[in-house]
Amino acid sequence: MRTGKWLRVLVPGSVLMIPLWMLVVSTKTYAIPAFSRQYQTSCTTCHLDFPKLNDFGKAFKDAGFKFPKDDENFLKVPNTLLGAEAQKQVWPRTVWPGQIPGMPPIGLRMNNFFQVTGNNRNQFNALAAPGTLPQVIPRSDFETGLFSIFTAGNFGSDIAFWVDDDISVAGDNAAGGLGDGYLKFVNIGRFLKLPTDALSIRAGQFELDLPFTQARNINLSPYDIYAQANIGAISSMLSSSQNVNNQFTFADAAKGVEFSGGHNYGGYHYSVTIMNQNTSGLGQSSNASPYVPSALGGANGGLGFGSDSSFKNVYARFSYRFNLERDAESRNSVQAAGATGPRDHTYLNFGTFYLRGNSQQGFLGALANGDTRLIYAHEPYYRAGGDFSFNYRTFNLFGVYMYGRDNNLLPVDANGALMPLPVGSTTAVPVGFISSVPAKFNGGFLEADYLLLPWIMAIGRWDGVHSSADRINGLALSTSTSYFGPLRSERNRFTPGIQFLIHPNIKASFEYQFRPKQAVTVVTDPVTGVQTALNPFRVNTALVGLEFVY
Amino acid sequence: MKNQFTKSALTALFISTFALAAALPGNTLSGKVSAGKGVSVVYIEATLGKTFPAPTEHVVIDQKGLLFQPHVAAVPVGATVEFLNSDKVAHNIFWPAISGNKKLSHNMGTWPSGQKRDFKFDAPGVVPLLCNVHPEMSAYIVVTPTPYFAVTDADGSYKIANVPEGQYTVTAWHEGMKVQSKPVKVAGDTTADFALSK
Repeated sequence: MRTGKWLRVLVPGSVLMIPLWMLVVSTKTYAIPAFSRQYQTSCTTCHLDFPKLNDFGKAFKDAGFKFPKDDENFLKVPNTLLGAEAQKQVWPRTVWPGQIPGMPPIGLRMNNFFQVTGNNRNQFNALAAPGTLPQVIPRSDFETGLFSIFTAGNFGSDIAFWVDDDISVAGDNAAGGLGDGYLKFVNIGRFLKLPTDALSIRAGQFELDLPFTQARNINLSPYDIYAQANIGAISSMLSSSQNVNNQFTFADAAKGVEFSGGHNYGGYHYSVTIMNQNTSGLGQSSNASPYVPSALGGANGGLGFGSDSSFKNVYARFSYRFNLERDAESRNSVQAAGATGPRDHTYLNFGTFYLRGNSQQGFLGALANGDTRLIYAHEPYYRAGGDFSFNYRTFNLFGVYMYGRDNNLLPVDANGALMPLPVGSTTAVPVGFISSVPAKFNGGFLEADYLLLPWIMAIGRWDGVHSSADRINGLALSTSTSYFGPLRSERNRFTPGIQFLIHPNIKASFEYQFRPKQAVTVVTDPVTGVQTALNPFRVNTALVGLEFVY
Repeated sequence: MKNQFTKSALTALFISTFALAAALPGNTLSGKVSAGKGVSVVYIEATLGKTFPAPTEHVVIDQKGLLFQPHVAAVPVGATVEFLNSDKVAHNIFWPAISGNKKLSHNMGTWPSGQKRDFKFDAPGVVPLLCNVHPEMSAYIVVTPTPYFAVTDADGSYKIANVPEGQYTVTAWHEGMKVQSKPVKVAGDTTADFALSK
């Protein structure tokens, strides 16, 4: 029996803070009341159960936050012209006239939560170090969410913009930071005589063109696979540990440029993104040099660097949506022509995505002659997957599968021997690396949304992540992990939920998380050295959210 | 010669009679409806046993710029309304009831931009028009039991011309206000004002 002392040195609260953390990362969900004001139309013109977009909302977004046709006829607040249209005739001897929204297109959002946590939360009290008090995790708790500002619109010439920022998080001022902030040049392919909407370019910081958005998903908790980093297994119990520490997740905002085309409401859609690589999780503001200026820096300093290596990641996605209406006109329209009114199409959507990176880890190493030098392990990695979505009337079934793989370079010393991990200041310095077993994970999610009534959404969702490295780390606690003492390598979470639109802009949400099994008792087989969790339990969580946008 | 004189005299009498009839004003009912913002509808309720032919002219209600235009219309029973979609987005028109009678609810479905769909209103009452994809859109058709009706101007003034002399019940309707009816004896130029409240 091994309930070793080292188990107690960890702060059990970090495990129990998972639901709170999930709240924070799950809350990038935006609907745009600014558009309601500009067009004097309801949220439900674009949203099913905000922020989930209906087909018209997808077309509105594809068009650069405009009505796909005759936009000016729908604007109740006319845009302010930054130059007369006739000024175009004297270009290039003048600035090309643009426009700005006739009113500041600002939306605000606030949410609050109430959580009930299962009694098993107290099992983690056993991990408190002797003589110390365990952190109190309340049975029930009222929690403050986000207060966010967001603004979006179109500057004319099909140039769209979006900025969102969390002004406060959990009651703390300015703790959130920028979500997305970008300009999008819609249908810029027209200058190259390409078919309509064949090429648009977006630049700035934005959520990757994920199969299903994390930023605009309706769930209170995020998709687990999108939050999956790839941290290699490090355990003295293993014959071969993994020198992989890739903090990148799909939930991270990308900084870069995206080329895209097609539509999300029918037919093909593609995107190719070239973006910063940042696999260390280092923030831009803290990644600065006192000697080399970054943006807005003078002789030195500045805003810091967003990348942590010179390599740029590439993300690509392609999808095709088959609208299944028999009538061709209805099939090809933004919305299908239903017998009792326009509605979302019945459709099947298939997609695939791929991300390629080259994770970099730096070490203070040594040459054969003993001179120190900086050496880097460049570990190529990729994420690949597929997705589908089927929609019938107000029922939507969709899912994602993703596979992740990081090459694993193990450090060797001057004698060519493998070095124990992690390499630290007290260990010998490595002189090179040898390739070893890659770090892999896979998983995904499957979700069914059914709009029972226009104001009631029922949700059933399953999340699954398979990572043997996470399990080993969770058992051995050699690195920080959210899953203390996981029973298996699969972390399955089932999350049913229901949401009520009190008004188009006010929503009450409920979800119950059947969480994976964990344990505080870990035993090691004296013969094989394999660790196993005993007496597993679940820390299930019920969560109620109340949010409003205006 | 005598016959010719007689013919001329009769012709002159005939013409002058019609000219006089045309020049004479009929009974009019006019007044003002005080009900706040927007227009109201004033109409004369049905008289027992009296029927009227259905009008041949169609009234058009347009959907343009995510608005019903006009917002309030009045038609007599038996009238046909043409619903036009001038927007380049999909629309729908339905009404959940007519004057609260849910059995008279109807959904017009979907039709392409630039096209119309007709509907003949055979029952009097207030028809609240809605669009099930743009819930902020609304309009009203007041289907009146007689052809004696008027939609007020923005100030609330109305005038119903050519009303046969008699004793009637006159009703005023305004969006969001309580309907008000009152007995009015129409003879010559008659005035009836209404003050509606919620």
